[in-house]
Amino acid sequence: MIAAKQEHKLKAFLIELLHKGWVLLLVFFIASAVIFTAVNLVPGDPVSLRLKNPDPERVAAIRAELGLDEPLINQYLHYITSFVRGNWGDSLITGQTVREEISEYFPATLELAFVALFLGVILGLGAAFSAQWFKSGLWRNIALGLGALGLTVPIFWLGFLFIVVGSLWLGWFPSGGRFDFTLPIPQGSGFLIFDSLAAGRLDMLGATFQYLALPVCCLSLYPAALVCGVLQARFADPRLHTLVRALRAKGLSEWRIWLIHVLRLLSAAVITVVGTNFGALLGGAVLTESVFSWPGMGRYLVEAVLNRDLFVVENSLLLIILLAYLIISTADLLAFFSNPTVRRHSDSTS
Amino acid sequence: MSRFSTIFEYATCSALGLSLIGLFYTPYNPMEQDFRNLAFSSASFSHWFGIDGLGRDFGSRLWRGAGNTVAMALIALSLNFTIASVLLFIEQSGPRLLRRIIPLGIGIWVAVPVILIGLVIMVFLKPSVGTLIIAVSLGNVPLAFRQLRILWIEQRNALYVLATEILGGGRRHLLAYTLWPNLRPDLLGLAKLILAICVLELSGLAFLGLIGDPDFPELGAILKQNQAYLFRNPMLVAWPGLILSTLLLLVHLSKSRSY
Repeated sequence: MIAAKQEHKLKAFLIELLHKGWVLLLVFFIASAVIFTAVNLVPGDPVSLRLKNPDPERVAAIRAELGLDEPLINQYLHYITSFVRGNWGDSLITGQTVREEISEYFPATLELAFVALFLGVILGLGAAFSAQWFKSGLWRNIALGLGALGLTVPIFWLGFLFIVVGSLWLGWFPSGGRFDFTLPIPQGSGFLIFDSLAAGRLDMLGATFQYLALPVCCLSLYPAALVCGVLQARFADPRLHTLVRALRAKGLSEWRIWLIHVLRLLSAAVITVVGTNFGALLGGAVLTESVFSWPGMGRYLVEAVLNRDLFVVENSLLLIILLAYLIISTADLLAFFSNPTVRRHSDSTS
Repeated sequence: MSRFSTIFEYATCSALGLSLIGLFYTPYNPMEQDFRNLAFSSASFSHWFGIDGLGRDFGSRLWRGAGNTVAMALIALSLNFTIASVLLFIEQSGPRLLRRIIPLGIGIWVAVPVILIGLVIMVFLKPSVGTLIIAVSLGNVPLAFRQLRILWIEQRNALYVLATEILGGGRRHLLAYTLWPNLRPDLLGLAKLILAICVLELSGLAFLGLIGDPDFPELGAILKQNQAYLFRNPMLVAWPGLILSTLLLLVHLSKSRSY
């Protein structure tokens, strides 16, 4: 009986996985087509704009070299096949390969986003569970305040407040940048936390966290507010109180009831809300990078768009969109695994 | 609706109205550098919010900025509701293929951060106020579409709608006396939510410098312009954010239904 149930669950999971894979493929084709059309709709020639003296012969030669003189359909096919192969061309501004530049900036954004997400989930869980557990007005107000703060205070303004307090008044944290350049930069994956740990240098790790502290605190308030809000809504469900009463009657400790049974039950909701809002978190990361002079994808992309750096725009936009969709799909699958009542095509939510 | 949400509703309407007055009236010209010799001076009786780095009355810039932000958000909201409603109409009454494609497309659309939508649009439209409005309204279409779809399905299956139809109520009667009174609070709540998101995203995109004219008085752009003076005169950065946060907090507190 249990084996049959497991098999059924696995089958449902595989169907869900196939569905997600199919949609990811669709996202790839639709997003690439939209980005390619947008880039090619721009009047004017990006190659001529880059050259100081746009001699027609030289422009034609560069266009031929970049494959920009071919029919649009060939250019599009070349774009998607090159993207899949990881051959993303050269930046028209810096001359460096786009892949090299992205591998330099992308880890910075991902590190910022994931550490903020982690801290946000911990903060949100802590505030919501404390409010529910201690039943005191103070904890409830903290939870309510966190929800209001995360959703109503603009992230870029909050960043300035953090700089004024943490850097100007207290002097504890640097006001911008990613690493202390008086120390050697840890080499490797580009994720400075991992690279510092791999090098076994605690001073590097300390510097990494010192630079991460303010932007991460700033960015984590949004996921914290979301998690806190969704948990508070779930805590109001009378069925949950019945379950808690039943578990208490069974003789389980409060820790076990709340941190194992209730948290497990609510994990699907938390995973879903975090996953579906990962795109918004990436958007927030772009703003945070601008405030804290963080050398990430946000600033890189904004500059590329304003300078019309063709290959950078085409490839980095597509990469971020695919990543956002991949994270949402992973969150859906995790929610599916943790709570089998979550099914795709639930009409009430889509 | 609680007494508090009614109070906050009035406060929100007053704040939005007051902001919009800034489009037509400000004590001083927010664009003219009339007080260059008083640059960076703090609040005084004649200049309640002081003078900015370029010698302009900061209170007037803030007032005009709040007006511009709210007006842009209202236009983005209208555009957003129009697009979402058209899509919903096509999905509900169009051919079967469209009924499948539109929700799938919305599911994909929701994965793309609004800032990226803004950047994609910025590739082929020049950075400007209009471009920002288009980006923000398009970016929030999935949210509006999904919520409007839920409301529509709820209403379509409601017994009182069926009862009105059986009693012979015409389309206009059904819409004016049955559907609208039931839809109004939810639509208002949804509009407030999207308005708050639009304000936040518009000022965010303007802060990134995507508004085109860096001197345009919009709260996000004003913040960006004064970023350089953060350590010299923090109030030039504090005020625009405080006004934005107050507007957003009021809108959130006055929501009659949580989305």
